[in-house]
Amino acid sequence: MNNQPRNPEDSLTKRVLEQIEGERVAPRPRWEFVLENWFFWTLGGVAVALGAFAAAAALFEIANAGWAFYAKTHPDLLTFFIQAAPFLWLIALAVFIFVGYTNIRRTKRGYRYPFWIIACGAVLTSIVLGTALFAAGFGQEIDEAIGDHPPFYRPVVVEEHSWWENPSRGLLGGMVVAVSGANDSFTLQDFNGSSWTIDASELSTTSLAAVERGGQVRVIGVPDPDATSTLEACYVFAWQTYGAHNPAPPPAPFAVIPPPNETIAPATRSDECKGIRPYGPPRAAPGE
Amino acid sequence: MQPDVTDEQIVRRALADKEEFALLITRYERKLARYLERLGVPAREDREDILQNAFIKAYRNLNSFDPELSFSSWMYRIVHNEAMSFFRARRARPTVHYDEEGNTLLAEMKDDAADASAISDLRLSSAELEKALAVLPARYRDVLLLRFFEDRSYTEMSDILELPVGTISTLIHRAKRALRESLSGRITYE
Repeated sequence: MNNQPRNPEDSLTKRVLEQIEGERVAPRPRWEFVLENWFFWTLGGVAVALGAFAAAAALFEIANAGWAFYAKTHPDLLTFFIQAAPFLWLIALAVFIFVGYTNIRRTKRGYRYPFWIIACGAVLTSIVLGTALFAAGFGQEIDEAIGDHPPFYRPVVVEEHSWWENPSRGLLGGMVVAVSGANDSFTLQDFNGSSWTIDASELSTTSLAAVERGGQVRVIGVPDPDATSTLEACYVFAWQTYGAHNPAPPPAPFAVIPPPNETIAPATRSDECKGIRPYGPPRAAPGE
Repeated sequence: MQPDVTDEQIVRRALADKEEFALLITRYERKLARYLERLGVPAREDREDILQNAFIKAYRNLNSFDPELSFSSWMYRIVHNEAMSFFRARRARPTVHYDEEGNTLLAEMKDDAADASAISDLRLSSAELEKALAVLPARYRDVLLLRFFEDRSYTEMSDILELPVGTISTLIHRAKRALRESLSGRITYE
């Protein structure tokens, strides 16, 4: 408010001009306003770009959560979703979009845009840029560089490894390190570094091909709550990483892959593997 | 006065010569003082203080004036924001001052009534309308004042209140409904 004593006879015009004169009020230079406007646009843009990084990490986790095997690893889809959803990244995405919105709203004509236009624009931009970053492999980089640090959060990919350290449900994941000459067993090093001898005599050609190709695999076998170093495999799947930053070169095959017609017909399967489906709920372990 | 010179031209001149700014003050001081009175600043001294601050602020920020907006909307925005600061500082609830322009609002409400035949006429005292407007939320009161008392377009209101045009439209619709509810029981039906 004005602190100067008011003369009631003075007109408003006179008082304003006197104050301008007396306090040497001058118009702020135009560049300050231009800079201010650019500042808010830049903050808004940076927030949307950070949202894109969060979206890329979220996409990486969603793509690599192992959705196809949820019935094997979890009692139901909801439980799987709660554990597999990349909440950290989704919350980060929401925060960055909100920050982007508030800054764009403060630009010169930002108030003219309805909330939903700015919010949808920011979400779409973040997701489109995030998809491009994910496709370029940055989703994994971000997820591994940042996702490992918060003490309250474990990246879904790391979480997923723990779901595949469960021989009592017939689930094992890890790296194929050796294959027997007769192709009837192979050695798997699980994510904790322990070695397992996997009985491969019941595997189909497709599963054997995954074993012979090497690299990381998922093994679905006969549930054995007492298993500590051996497991009878019924299916083996290559553990694919979608959106990997540096896709590992395919390992040297352990053996010549047999032609596809050499399959084990369901009728010829042992009783142990009968009834075990790759994507269905796990069969109860004997004695469970 | 130079009625043929646009506000935007005067703004450009005022940037070079502060005396030119006097023209803008002369053009808008009465209109804005009346707006402040309607907003609920009853004391003349307070209105003049708010206007003085608003014009000083406008002069200081003259380079931020966007010629794509009307100077009038820009000035209303500054005065509106100053008035809100005044109410916050005084912790006072504004009391709307009703005048003859309020009849536009009542006529509009009559046109909008779902059962127009039931409301053949609205007869209200100024005190009743003031009371009904006073209990409305501030956002509703602001849009009703600008639309029906200041005769501002939706685009101008959007620029003054810094809200999207769609939001202004929604607020007006809700404000009229709230006012109708607030007036129920006080309306005289003929």
